[in-house]
Amino acid sequence: MSVSNDSSDLEALFDSIASDFQPGKPAAPPPAPVSAPPAKTGADSDDLQALFDSVAAVAATSAVVTSDVSERVPVVEDENWTQQEVVFNRIGHMARALHDTLGMLGYDKVLEKAVSALPDAKDRLAYIANLTEQAACRVLNATDIAGPLVEDVEARSRQLGETWDKVFANQLGPDEFRQLAIETRQFLRQQLPEKTAATHAQLTEIMMAQDFQDLTGQVIKKIVTLAQELESGLMGLLIEVLPEAKRTDEVTSLMNGPVVNAEGRTDIVVNQEQVDDLLDSLGF
Amino acid sequence: MAADPKTRFLVVDDFSTMRRIVRNLLKELGFTNVDEAEDGAIALQKLQNGGFEFVVTDWNMPNMDGLTLLQTIRATPTLKHLPVLMITAEAKKENIIAAAQAGASGYIVKPFTAGTLSEKLNKIFEKFGQA
Repeated sequence: MSVSNDSSDLEALFDSIASDFQPGKPAAPPPAPVSAPPAKTGADSDDLQALFDSVAAVAATSAVVTSDVSERVPVVEDENWTQQEVVFNRIGHMARALHDTLGMLGYDKVLEKAVSALPDAKDRLAYIANLTEQAACRVLNATDIAGPLVEDVEARSRQLGETWDKVFANQLGPDEFRQLAIETRQFLRQQLPEKTAATHAQLTEIMMAQDFQDLTGQVIKKIVTLAQELESGLMGLLIEVLPEAKRTDEVTSLMNGPVVNAEGRTDIVVNQEQVDDLLDSLGF
Repeated sequence: MAADPKTRFLVVDDFSTMRRIVRNLLKELGFTNVDEAEDGAIALQKLQNGGFEFVVTDWNMPNMDGLTLLQTIRATPTLKHLPVLMITAEAKKENIIAAAQAGASGYIVKPFTAGTLSEKLNKIFEKFGQA
């Protein structure tokens, strides 16, 4: 643990307290290394107390540390203190180790940047959800409108076609034939173009509804970058701080959502055929 | 049960878009009697009020997920005969096995096609028709 370049708040607090407890010594003693041998009960408990107080003070973001710590904190009897000191000592060491590691590796900046970007990422994701939902609604609305138009054309065509079949079967009189001719002309000149034009408009609407892809694509790229930064920061930190406590437990859950990368995985199916095969093989 | 066009469906999915798509596909297959529920809890309420003959449900939903809904349906005497078709993005083998063991009548993975839905529905109607 580097003590020489330590200009952190924690160090300053630690020093201020340490110096308060050593009135006989010069005002600016060399920083006491935290990794100093664990204090023995009695004489050294003041140092521990100071260490704990400094950590607690930082945790509470209390900027001011009064000079008379012993008055604020009741003196605990040695017996209880022995049990607690282990905990306090560990907490102190961990806080220092974490703080120093973050600082030394530059992860504090990385993490700070990433964390500050998270609210922005949430907004961006909400934006994507919003745009894709709008697009889905536009498309479904368009198909709802276009569907009946096409059905009308289909029904009317069939009806006229059947009547024309009667003409060819000599089943229609001259008046009916005349009426059919008028209706057919009207259908071809007016109804059909109107309905195909309206259908075409809905096809255009469906096409235009895809414009979200460009916008969401850009936003997604930004979020991916952020996630990568956050991941590498956290991973690096984990590897530095907890080399032996790596957790490789796989998260087991039945609600994982869509599989985004099926490559190399054998625990999933990639199409309906595989679902059916699996169920068949199990006798369902 | 034959493939009666009047068969009353309950489509359960937390995304309205998906409910709409399933509803439209069912309509194209001739089934127009369709109601919707946005999660398992609401679905169960509607089912208990009666009148439904077929359940199409998603898996991952708030309040009550599709598997719990399926298990509850199978454990409820008045509902346990209902065909339950799962349409879900969950594609792990253990998901499919869990659904089958819980008594799912069919399992479709998203994204799916109109053809798949039609095929599975027919298969289920056939099976339930025999029963």
